[in-house]
Amino acid sequence: MKRLAPLLILVLGGCASLQSLDVSSLTGGRINSNVDVMKVAKGVNQIRKGFEDISESEEHFIGRAVAAQVLTRYKPLNDPALNLYAQKVAQAVALASDRPATFKGYHLQVLDTNEVNAFAAPGGFLFVTKGLLKLVKSEDELACVLAHEVAHVAKRHGLKTIQTSRLTSAFTVLGSEAAKSYTPQQMNQLTTAFEGAVEDVVNKLVVNGYSRDKEYEADRFGAQYARDAHYDPGALKTFLARLEKSEGSGGGMFKTHPAAAKRGAELGSLTPASAYKRSSERGRRFSAAVQL
Amino acid sequence: MTFRAMLAAAALALAAGAAYASTITVLVSETALRKRAQSYAPSVGTARLGQKFETAGLESGFYKTASGYVHASAVTERKVRLGSADSVGGGTSAEEITLAGKGFNAQVEKSYGDKGAVNFVGVNAMERRSVSEPALFGFLRAGGLLPEGGSK
Repeated sequence: MKRLAPLLILVLGGCASLQSLDVSSLTGGRINSNVDVMKVAKGVNQIRKGFEDISESEEHFIGRAVAAQVLTRYKPLNDPALNLYAQKVAQAVALASDRPATFKGYHLQVLDTNEVNAFAAPGGFLFVTKGLLKLVKSEDELACVLAHEVAHVAKRHGLKTIQTSRLTSAFTVLGSEAAKSYTPQQMNQLTTAFEGAVEDVVNKLVVNGYSRDKEYEADRFGAQYARDAHYDPGALKTFLARLEKSEGSGGGMFKTHPAAAKRGAELGSLTPASAYKRSSERGRRFSAAVQL
Repeated sequence: MTFRAMLAAAALALAAGAAYASTITVLVSETALRKRAQSYAPSVGTARLGQKFETAGLESGFYKTASGYVHASAVTERKVRLGSADSVGGGTSAEEITLAGKGFNAQVEKSYGDKGAVNFVGVNAMERRSVSEPALFGFLRAGGLLPEGGSK
């Protein structure tokens, strides 16, 4: 019997894990993390409370409005070939991320400014400036930069900056009435909450920057995504070393991100996947597309 | 508990685990159903918002369904009442809000946009910029980024 006990514990323990099916370690995604089957069985009648209760579609609309604010502050670069090339690299690393599909997918726009910066709005709206692209010297480096932004989306860093009071206000409107369409008063309350939520995210992205912890997390997961997309994750450190040398220029990323040297040190050693291949084609198409 | 009873309990527990099945609901506009539980596996179909699938469980971050593998981040295993957010007060889940198109939606965006000059035209242009999966896989293959047998 003593010999059988561990087996029994294993078997029963395995079934117990089905009762609390936590797949967060497998997916890194929000939706299925900490899903408690017993709670699900009791229904879903709990009123939404915090950022984790923002729905996929709501994240999309918050992201659209944040992106609209970014595009109001910065002029989009009208270079179809460069935008399409960067879009492909962004989709390549997003596919390897733990959130390959957002509500409407990942979309990238190059911004026509010499400020060195990159942003990620909720839902998958990515931005990279012309100034930053001038510092990038290879497709692998670009992939790492964009993978860092994808990580901000995958880890929902933007949504985490929204003040809970804004969401409480919006969720109350939705939870208080059995309405098929909103009354003018409800619409006004929702719009005010939406406006505040967008402002919270924009302030964090463009003005204050994320906390150091979130930036290091985005570096760490970004390097992982780049590696899983069969790019060289070490290219992130190469880029950060170059960024460090140009840090004297002040604003943009230098204001909103931790020092490049510290970010590089936090990353530690990075090695490519076993399937990693060098490619002259990557060099050719990077040089053809990124001519700034 | 006797030795025989414990054995019976273990067998029952194993059977319950093997029979584990669940329904998943798609929460994104559309996403690929793949041949294998891999990001670079070829697409064998498309799963769309609100579509439900029976699943036998997770495999490497993908739910296995009869129609193909779907990434876990694009679906929920929670029970979702289709259309419930149209008429239910008192508590509606995030998943139901998505499927009903409620909460922060196009109507709220329009109300927000009417209050000030923001560049949604540029955002719409961004959203139109998307690379199809065949074109993306061609880009990956040309750049030596597709693992052996990846898209086959």
